[in-house]
Amino acid sequence: MRLIVFLVPRLVIAAITMFGVALLVFVALRLLPGGYAEVLLGPFATPEARAIIGAKYGLDQPIAVQFVKWLGALLQGDFGVSMVNRRPVIEEFVRRAPVTAELATLTLALALAIGLPLGVSSALAASHGRRGRLGRLVGALGASVPEFVLGSALIFVFSSWSLGLKVGGFVPLAQDPWANLRSVVLPTASLSVFGIALILRTTRDAVLRVLTEGHILAAVARGETPWRIVRHHVLRNAAIPVVTVTATYFGFLLGGAVIAEILFSIPGVGYYIYSSLEGRDYAVVQAGVLLASFAFVSLNMLADVAYALIDPRIGATRRRP
Amino acid sequence: MSISLSSRLRRFGAVMVVAGVAALGSTFEAHAQKALNWGVGADVDSMDVHVAGTVASWSMYEMVYETLLTTDRNMVLRPGLAESWKQTSPTTYQLNLRKDAKWSNGRPVVAADVIGSIERITGAEMNPAGVAAAKTDEEKKKASNKISSYWSRQFGVIKALAASDDHTVKVELAKPHTAFLPALAHITASIIPIKEFKDGSFDPTRQLLGSGPFMVGAYKPKESWTLVRNPHYWRKGYPKVDTLNVLVIPDEAARVAALRDGRIDYSTFANPDIGRLVAGDAKLAVTPQITTNYFRMDINALAEKSAFRDKRVRQALNLAIDRDALASIVFAGAAKPDYPVPGAFGKAACKDVDTYKLPRAARLDKARALLAAAGKPSVDVELIASTGDPIFARIAQVVQQNAKQVGFNIKIQQTPVAEYLNKVFTKGEFDAALSWLAGYSDPSMVIAWWNPKFAVWNTVFHEYSQPLADALEKVKGAPEGAERDAQLVEVCRMIDDGANILALVSKVDFIVHRTDTMEIKLDPVSGSSNTYQYVAEFVSKR
Repeated sequence: MRLIVFLVPRLVIAAITMFGVALLVFVALRLLPGGYAEVLLGPFATPEARAIIGAKYGLDQPIAVQFVKWLGALLQGDFGVSMVNRRPVIEEFVRRAPVTAELATLTLALALAIGLPLGVSSALAASHGRRGRLGRLVGALGASVPEFVLGSALIFVFSSWSLGLKVGGFVPLAQDPWANLRSVVLPTASLSVFGIALILRTTRDAVLRVLTEGHILAAVARGETPWRIVRHHVLRNAAIPVVTVTATYFGFLLGGAVIAEILFSIPGVGYYIYSSLEGRDYAVVQAGVLLASFAFVSLNMLADVAYALIDPRIGATRRRP
Repeated sequence: MSISLSSRLRRFGAVMVVAGVAALGSTFEAHAQKALNWGVGADVDSMDVHVAGTVASWSMYEMVYETLLTTDRNMVLRPGLAESWKQTSPTTYQLNLRKDAKWSNGRPVVAADVIGSIERITGAEMNPAGVAAAKTDEEKKKASNKISSYWSRQFGVIKALAASDDHTVKVELAKPHTAFLPALAHITASIIPIKEFKDGSFDPTRQLLGSGPFMVGAYKPKESWTLVRNPHYWRKGYPKVDTLNVLVIPDEAARVAALRDGRIDYSTFANPDIGRLVAGDAKLAVTPQITTNYFRMDINALAEKSAFRDKRVRQALNLAIDRDALASIVFAGAAKPDYPVPGAFGKAACKDVDTYKLPRAARLDKARALLAAAGKPSVDVELIASTGDPIFARIAQVVQQNAKQVGFNIKIQQTPVAEYLNKVFTKGEFDAALSWLAGYSDPSMVIAWWNPKFAVWNTVFHEYSQPLADALEKVKGAPEGAERDAQLVEVCRMIDDGANILALVSKVDFIVHRTDTMEIKLDPVSGSSNTYQYVAEFVSKR
């Protein structure tokens, strides 16, 4: 019962959010200057040619009618077909989703593996000069180096000296795990730098905040060892903002890392959505954004659950009438 | 029952031997399979060969489809699916099809395929029975198999199409149209399998099914194509490779990296810096290919607020552009100033107009005088350089500096491709925009676009001139020769006077290939965007 009370409002909000996203994207796409007919026909888009393509793909109907038809089909599990190749777009997302999920998971794992300990260590050493400044420097650098700059630099270096890694040429995990690893190291590295900085800075700030609280002073007064204080009193209390940014960052990664996918020829959902947006392949963009928002909303719900597990007071507060 | 250790070892040994032999066999088989890897910057925009108007799509179709005719490096027509042809009168043609040409499903290519394909391109309803049976407008729309191909106008007006037999097609035009045969050489005029189209087993909007060297083995949208040898291809012993893997790699630097590490064997680049980028790699060779295509600037002569409504202002901008500077600064000397009648045709048609003939200083003086006469010594202009090709922005910067010398203040707008197409060709809401024109394989085909009533796509920004339209019609009907060349000179003069679409510099393609993994065959000049027309002859050294 508690689970239902906890989940139902969130599910309702999630459904409303996703409907809003779907409506917004549908309308925004059609308000964009230039349509599929123009992209397809290039500069040869005569009014007659545009009209024929519009009629063929139902683009000549009012936006409201198009939206209702699309939504009706969606509720029956039909995400539509690509205008470019007339194939169901969901097939392409199913094919690409594991690639994006792998890249996102590895990137997040790397960001957590480096960002978390560096963040904690930087906060603990905040008053010790060098280590504290190093943490701040890494955080600032990571957050300010654009992904395309780092990615381009990696391509330049590793296309000249491969060093056992592959610049592009993604190999699916199921096909050859070792080759897969070689092909995802560079995109993961270029993507995770921002994540490392984000998690490092968030962790650092959260730990610094907890360190100033009274129960830490009490623990020190009780003579607890520094490691025990960190493990039992600091990490858990500092975890909530870290969980929040981790969920948000993971959601962002699952939505597709367009630049890394373009630079390293990774067949993920990001480039597919982006290039379909450029080509005004409406069904792909609509489905892509909807699926990305689904991932985002789901992760936020998971984060909500995680808050309650980390800090039981949160669940208790929310259960109160 | 117990098995001794030695017996187990013997069995294990036998299994290993069998496995080893099998592995060796598969290795030999794998070695027998020859493959090439082609890197492309973009995927197709549609599967429909008769509709798509982008080079990325055309290049892919050329691997699978064939045209009746093709052109060589001298723009001379060569056999394609038609092994011979003759013009039987000023308005009639006979095309004799290859008897050994087959679709990749094994069915012979016949005259009905040619007639049906041309009818489809020219806008005939390909499902008249279905449309007639439909009751509502909505059903009629769904049943209709009619398309609107921009290429139909390049055929002239077709009066009748008939098949004398399965391999002979007779075409009658309403009036003489010299570019009819060259129009058959462009990939948009591909022949598709009409029988399969009509019986529903082939849908040209979803599939590629042709008679060319390759057929589609697998397709991953915006990622890759696996093209496999068409076993029924009429050129015996071709293609030389069994598989052509096409990898979509949008980023230029990533494509260079793929060439370096051997993931792809060849690719086309528009960036003239490519030679410098790959200079350090001895395995990579760069081949510039001159085309009949050229960069151009569209000027809006029709927008109410545009300063370019005054012809003198357009002429001033045309005179102010330094095409030599464009060729040397943007293209490092690889391109040349180009003309409405492309220089690659080797005709001197447009060289004698002031835009090209006068020295730079005199052109600038004339441009200033024109602006003064128009009462506009200073003109603010927005120049659209779409993000479709990074070269546009570079051209825009040089033009900006050139034009400033006579009083134009150009503001460069970089817009996404779809927005550019919408602003320029649909709404006509722009001052000037950069693009390029395909020159095809006959001069009359490209200059035909200067008649907006013929072109249609530029009606929102191009002034209509009856004398120019008449002159263009004359050229279309005139046979090759001195008289036609003289007509082209007159047309060039009129085009230059109107200054509505400005030819800038030639468009050169740069093909990079790995010399250690493949042998490539390319023409130094290409007429119909058919860069890889000899793909069947490409050899893999792997």
